[in-house]
Amino acid sequence: MTVRTPVETEILTLARPWLRGLNKVAAADGRAALAWRLADVAGAAGFAAGLAFGIDALTRDLAEALPFLALALVSALVRGALAARANQAGAQAAALAKAHARRQAAASLLAPGAPRGGAAVTAVMDGVEALDGYVSRFAPARSASAIAPLLLIGLTAIASPVCAGIQLFTLLPFIVAMALAGMAAADASRRQFLALERLSSLFLDRVRTLPVVLAFQAESRVTAGLAQAAQDLSRRTQAVLRVAFFSSAALEFFAALSVALVAVYCGFNLLRLLPFPVPETLELKRAFFALVLAPEVYAPMRRLAAAYHDRQAAEAAALTLARLPTPAPAAAPLALTAAPEIRFEGVGVAYAGGEAAVFDGFDLVAPAGQITALLGPSGCGKTTLLNLLTGLAPLSAGEVRVGPARLSEIGAFAADLAWAGQSPLLLAGSLADNLALARPDASRAELEAAARRAGLSDLLDRRGGLDAPIDERGGGLSGGERRRLGIARALLKPAPILLLDEPTADLDAAAEAAMIAALRMAAAGRTTLIATHSEALAAVADKVVRL
Amino acid sequence: MSALSKLIAEQRRRQVRPLILAAICAAVVGAGSTILLGLSGWFITGAALAGVAGLTTAQAFNVLLPSATIRLLAILRTGARYGERLQGHAAALDALAAIRPRLFASLAAAPPREALAIARGDAAARLVQDVDAVETRFVRLSAPWGAGAGIGAAVLLAALAGPGPAIAIALAVALHLVLARLLTRKLSAPAGATIQAAAGDLKSALAAFAAAAPELKVYGAQGPALDRIAQLGGELDALKVRAVRAQGVLALSEGALTGLTVAAVLALAAPASAPLAALAALAAVMAIEAAAPIARAFDQDGAAEAAGERLDVLLRHTPEAASHRETPTRPALRLLGQDLAPGARLALVGPTGCGKTTRLEQLLGLRGAPADAFALDGQDGSDLSPAALRAAFAYAPQDAALLAGTVRENLQLAAPQADDETLWAALDDAALADRVRALPQGLDTWLGEAGERLSGGERRRLSLARALLRDAPWLLLDEPTEGLDPTTEARVVARLDARLRATGQGLVLVSHRPAPLTLCQRTIAVETLSPAAGSAISRAMTTPVITTATP
Repeated sequence: MTVRTPVETEILTLARPWLRGLNKVAAADGRAALAWRLADVAGAAGFAAGLAFGIDALTRDLAEALPFLALALVSALVRGALAARANQAGAQAAALAKAHARRQAAASLLAPGAPRGGAAVTAVMDGVEALDGYVSRFAPARSASAIAPLLLIGLTAIASPVCAGIQLFTLLPFIVAMALAGMAAADASRRQFLALERLSSLFLDRVRTLPVVLAFQAESRVTAGLAQAAQDLSRRTQAVLRVAFFSSAALEFFAALSVALVAVYCGFNLLRLLPFPVPETLELKRAFFALVLAPEVYAPMRRLAAAYHDRQAAEAAALTLARLPTPAPAAAPLALTAAPEIRFEGVGVAYAGGEAAVFDGFDLVAPAGQITALLGPSGCGKTTLLNLLTGLAPLSAGEVRVGPARLSEIGAFAADLAWAGQSPLLLAGSLADNLALARPDASRAELEAAARRAGLSDLLDRRGGLDAPIDERGGGLSGGERRRLGIARALLKPAPILLLDEPTADLDAAAEAAMIAALRMAAAGRTTLIATHSEALAAVADKVVRL
Repeated sequence: MSALSKLIAEQRRRQVRPLILAAICAAVVGAGSTILLGLSGWFITGAALAGVAGLTTAQAFNVLLPSATIRLLAILRTGARYGERLQGHAAALDALAAIRPRLFASLAAAPPREALAIARGDAAARLVQDVDAVETRFVRLSAPWGAGAGIGAAVLLAALAGPGPAIAIALAVALHLVLARLLTRKLSAPAGATIQAAAGDLKSALAAFAAAAPELKVYGAQGPALDRIAQLGGELDALKVRAVRAQGVLALSEGALTGLTVAAVLALAAPASAPLAALAALAAVMAIEAAAPIARAFDQDGAAEAAGERLDVLLRHTPEAASHRETPTRPALRLLGQDLAPGARLALVGPTGCGKTTRLEQLLGLRGAPADAFALDGQDGSDLSPAALRAAFAYAPQDAALLAGTVRENLQLAAPQADDETLWAALDDAALADRVRALPQGLDTWLGEAGERLSGGERRRLSLARALLRDAPWLLLDEPTEGLDPTTEARVVARLDARLRATGQGLVLVSHRPAPLTLCQRTIAVETLSPAAGSAISRAMTTPVITTATP
């Protein structure tokens, strides 16, 4: 028995149950795919019968064989159509399952501790796409491989119970072999898959760190290191592969054996030369029928083996998707009468997965109704502090108090916050739609007033007022205008706390000065936290904290 | 011949033994499957006729040869299938071990602009997928041999029943492949392009969604945003479902062809004899089945071709033979109008985005520099090769840029030959030695991707220690003490000062924190400088603001 690594164990305990749950989402289409695959058994029988009766008739006269040849032809056509339907239903099931997984994964990006940035996009995009083959091909193939062989053996029994017996006789040891050694083969194959993934991520890492590799003139050493890692993998996995391919050898052996045994038995039976008594006397059409069905018994298993890679890819993806945090329900607003004081007391933030804590024992008091600037370079955790309040960063130690309320009890203060950042979300629609995101019940007059106060007068006059169309990519809006849209939203929401995340990044000095004026207006009467690396912006703050 | 085909051809030559073995095995499997079923059909039919004719005929019927052959084929098929898988994957793994390093070397040899565009963007992930596509091609190299042998065996078997059935099978297979090719051209290829576009749209919507997460939470607006993602995802899924229809049409045509061919072959072979007709008919079934994987693989050709083209562009850059790094001289540096003698220390200050980091990257040849941007020993930077430039500098970038690896691997990037004592001394000077000592495996602790087991400040200090280890006349440090508490910062600055005095290295420092600035004799404020605005550059260079920092 081999020892499983933690990742392998997690695949069995976390990824597999998650995938089973996913299959239930598309159960109807999954069943349809299975049904079409099972209907193919009838097609296979029709084709075999057409051939068997055709050959039998052929021993007498070609004309007599023609109706049976027509049956074979029609059956082959029907089989093609059934395969097409099965693929279609599988694809449909995959679409449903992916839509469900995608929505869940996207929603979980709003939970504390979710991946951010590129990692988030990769998790949702590539992770969800990796599920496709599992749902569309592997899952129906697995169900079909459990039922179709038995149906085919049952059909064989109509023509020749002994042949059916032979089929069962080869199928059972195959199942036993797979149960005994198949597990080791599956482990080996999974190990191989994971080792290849690791090699890929090593390569990716070295590509991403290319600037320092070049700066240190280490390109030939890193190249040699990559070659070494790949050679090591190649050498180590040769042994693994020998085990991993056991299943395909076993499949081939029993598939070939069943055809050979059926053929030899039928031949001897037809010659009446069997050295032992059997309860049946075969004739050509029965024997031929059994022979043509013989390879079909193992066809579903072949299909399953072909989809095995889909399963491994899906399991690796499921591991990431199953680990995504669950979003908490939206918190109700606090009953605050005025802008509150915000206290960070011994705050620790640590993400799951062994990464170092972003903060440990961090203290800060943001005075009520004042502007506090958090100053520091990118990556130092300014945004993380703001995200504690929005409920996007996990509080692992300490406490954040907003007035009398505690973060550890409430989970997030999103309902009491207004926010403006570097890249406000743009929805396809009108300018009014985009503004109303912050307060759906705002009147048009209120929307326009907020836009003008945020400095969007130019845009309103130039593009025809609140009905100006906006596309998702923000075509026609300058970087400054997009950010002002975010500020207008912050103005619209009557929240006692305002969070600003790098609101002036990438702006030139003049644009920054203009933006700062708008921000000061937005901050009036609220407790404001600004995360920035701009000294000019920090200068307007009542309190500056350097991180 | 493209660079990629050359590389693949070279690997095929190197892996010739396993590839030939895999091809032979595949051929045995292909031919074996066809012959097994065909022979079985012939055997049964012949046996039936002999059995009907009476006991004497039955006894005269040679049972031993066919039945032994049938059993032999079954065994052969098993061994050959196992051999094919094993040899094919062994060849692919070995080829992979050569192709990846070669690609990396080409990437490193590419002009900095091109190389860094790939390193910093989405292209890096796509590069990995493209390599995977090439590897898949290697595994599949044996497939045509298996198919060919299966089809060939079928045609030969059918020829026993006369030329008619053989020709019918050959024609049917050809027709099947041509039809499959046409169908993929007409249906799959355009579908692939629209799927790519839809996936791109979804990806950018997801990126926008992830970036706007705080805003969505604050305004409770996740509903519409999630709906939008669901809508774009639904469009992508629908396109994929539609693309499966192309495969469905292919399955339908495969079914029709199988039926027609079998009927035709039986009719054509009937005059020979019933057993031979059975043989030919089953051979026809197996021939179409053998061709099926090839027909289905046309579907992936377009994607593989695109992957190949992208890799080809990269592989054009031939890596130079590993040159021995010359023992660095100690050149004088002229930068931003400042003449710096070996060992001098200069600080660059200025607002974010004014181009301080750009300056450092120009010095390192990671970015093209305009003429007169800087000079080493009087030689203009734009005339010097990247190798000559890089030899002069040791660099600690702002984002730390740690490799996924151990502490030791990261440090040895700068000094491959350094012993443990030297490594610990550098860690000590970066005020990180205690932290590394506390790690479970010390220097050999795996740090994860981008050093995720360390905090931001620790990553920076490891990156600093790495720069200290490189024997180069000039240190380039980009915000080395960001994220450090004042005590640690003071310690790092003091150690750095002592180390620079001992080694006589010069320093170009980018920082806005007062403590490290005290290291420098000169501080220069870089005015807003964008690579696009030539006038801004020259102004910054001709009118530097110089203040002498208090030591």
